[in-house]
Amino acid sequence: MSVNLLVPILFTGVSLSAIYILVALGFTLVFGIMRVVNFAHGEFAMMGGFALLFLLDRLALPYWVALPLAAVLVGTVSLLPERLVFRRLYAQELPSMIAALGLSVALAEGAVILFEVHERALPSAFSGLIHIGGFTFPEDRLVVVAIALAALGGFWLFTRIGLALRTVAQDREIAEAQGIDTRATYRITFFLATMLAALGGALFAQIYALSPYMGSVPLMKAFIIVIIGGLGSVPGAALGGVLLGMSESFLNTFYGASVAQFASFGAIILLLVLRPWGLLGRPEG
Amino acid sequence: MASRVLLGLLGVVLLAWPLFVNEPFLAHIGTLVLLYCIGAASLHLILRTGHLSLGHAAFLGLGGYTSALLTTRLGWPFVPAFLASGLVPAAVALIVGPILLRLRGVYFVLITFTLGEVVRLIFNDWQSLTGGADGIFRIPPPHPLLVDKRAYYYFALAMATVCVGIVARILASQTGRYVDAIRESDRLAQSSGVPVLRFKVMVFSIACGLVGLQGSLLAHFITFVAPGAYSFNESLNLLVMNVIGGMGGLTGPLIGAAFLTALPEFLRGWVELQRLLYGVVLIVVMLFVPGGLMEVGKRTLALLRPGARRVA
Repeated sequence: MSVNLLVPILFTGVSLSAIYILVALGFTLVFGIMRVVNFAHGEFAMMGGFALLFLLDRLALPYWVALPLAAVLVGTVSLLPERLVFRRLYAQELPSMIAALGLSVALAEGAVILFEVHERALPSAFSGLIHIGGFTFPEDRLVVVAIALAALGGFWLFTRIGLALRTVAQDREIAEAQGIDTRATYRITFFLATMLAALGGALFAQIYALSPYMGSVPLMKAFIIVIIGGLGSVPGAALGGVLLGMSESFLNTFYGASVAQFASFGAIILLLVLRPWGLLGRPEG
Repeated sequence: MASRVLLGLLGVVLLAWPLFVNEPFLAHIGTLVLLYCIGAASLHLILRTGHLSLGHAAFLGLGGYTSALLTTRLGWPFVPAFLASGLVPAAVALIVGPILLRLRGVYFVLITFTLGEVVRLIFNDWQSLTGGADGIFRIPPPHPLLVDKRAYYYFALAMATVCVGIVARILASQTGRYVDAIRESDRLAQSSGVPVLRFKVMVFSIACGLVGLQGSLLAHFITFVAPGAYSFNESLNLLVMNVIGGMGGLTGPLIGAAFLTALPEFLRGWVELQRLLYGVVLIVVMLFVPGGLMEVGKRTLALLRPGARRVA
């Protein structure tokens, strides 16, 4: 394979991986810490896209302000369903999952009523091309990669400090006895998770398209990544994201989108059967 | 005694429904409700083993496509095609069941969800066989007489009675008690000598066969099949029928099927609002009445009965 072909494929792989990891991290956090399979995760990503559109279009904010603001905005709004829906169902895997399914439908249909169902494009902040060593990269994709990497770096720093999160994940009662406010921890986790989803969703909408039903795609990717890496495992989400992003980029180029899709489904069915706790997760007792 | 009377009353209402209302639209809805009773009851059977499947629509689709392909492409008569539409999903379930049913809790949900997506993709991408995204059109009625909506209603009533009857019979039998034991504690059941995996696979296979029969009846009723009809939303729908109706007994999914099939048809004018409500109702049920409509009914009865102890 020539270098001319390889570099663009790797670049696409990196940009896909970065966005996928952003979305999957929040999903795996919420499961790891609250034992909730958040089926509404994709809808928070969708809300990130619409929040960005609103801030750019209506308020005419500069891109660098609008993007983080959109993520924080969605994170803050998500504290409402956290309080009203999830808090009462934490640690109950199946009931919380069904409630999350309900929330997913309600948010997507709410968005249809508010914004209408058609697909739209986010105004592109960057449309130029950058030439590096004989290769051409679209500027907007480079920006996406840079933002995603910065967010992941920030997240890494945060989790180093946030040992409390892991304590609560391991044993809630003991954590409470040690004076850790578990409710606050849950709130922070949920905020962080939806913020990352919204950021990923905004970038996703920038590359593809924005629509009320777009949430199912990032959700599906998060599913696949998290099953590959291990439900609840943060390093697993990173590994799964890279594997999925790279393999999709390669398979898409050489065999087409439907082969790429079947391959990822095949991989996770195999993993679920042989190693349901994923590549980097831990088996449950 | 009271339940016998109720059952008899229900029978009379169901038999008289198309005669009374005398409108094709209502007979149409009645037929859909009856057919979805089969699917919801079959999913109830799987739920009773303690497994929550989010891929049941895949087996509905397998049944629908089997029947559609056999009658339109190979010119089979309805009866053998109908039987095949139960056998094919049951056979598939028998093959994948031993693998899937080893997984528990969230992992089973995730793998059935994935399986559902894979099957839908196959319907969509295997164009030469399935007609791709357009699906298969002009599926003939089971019998020339059944073109009439009211006639099809009675046909569906008979079929639904048989299928739901099979589920009820299984739940009331020794197998049903094994199923309950497996749900409460599969390890305890295993150590008491119940071949857990074998029973789970058997029940799963029967349930998938039954929903396949619904797929066939539905395909011949609406005269076409397409991959969009067997998406995740349909799996969710079957699950929600169980959740909203109540998962404690077989009555729950039947009430849920009636509720969730009939209501959208009457609220056609408010499609968006109705989907929004669907989500909200799901959340509210999970938060406040996890026992579903059955529990709501019980609580209301308890309140109405003076002096009776409140049902907690």
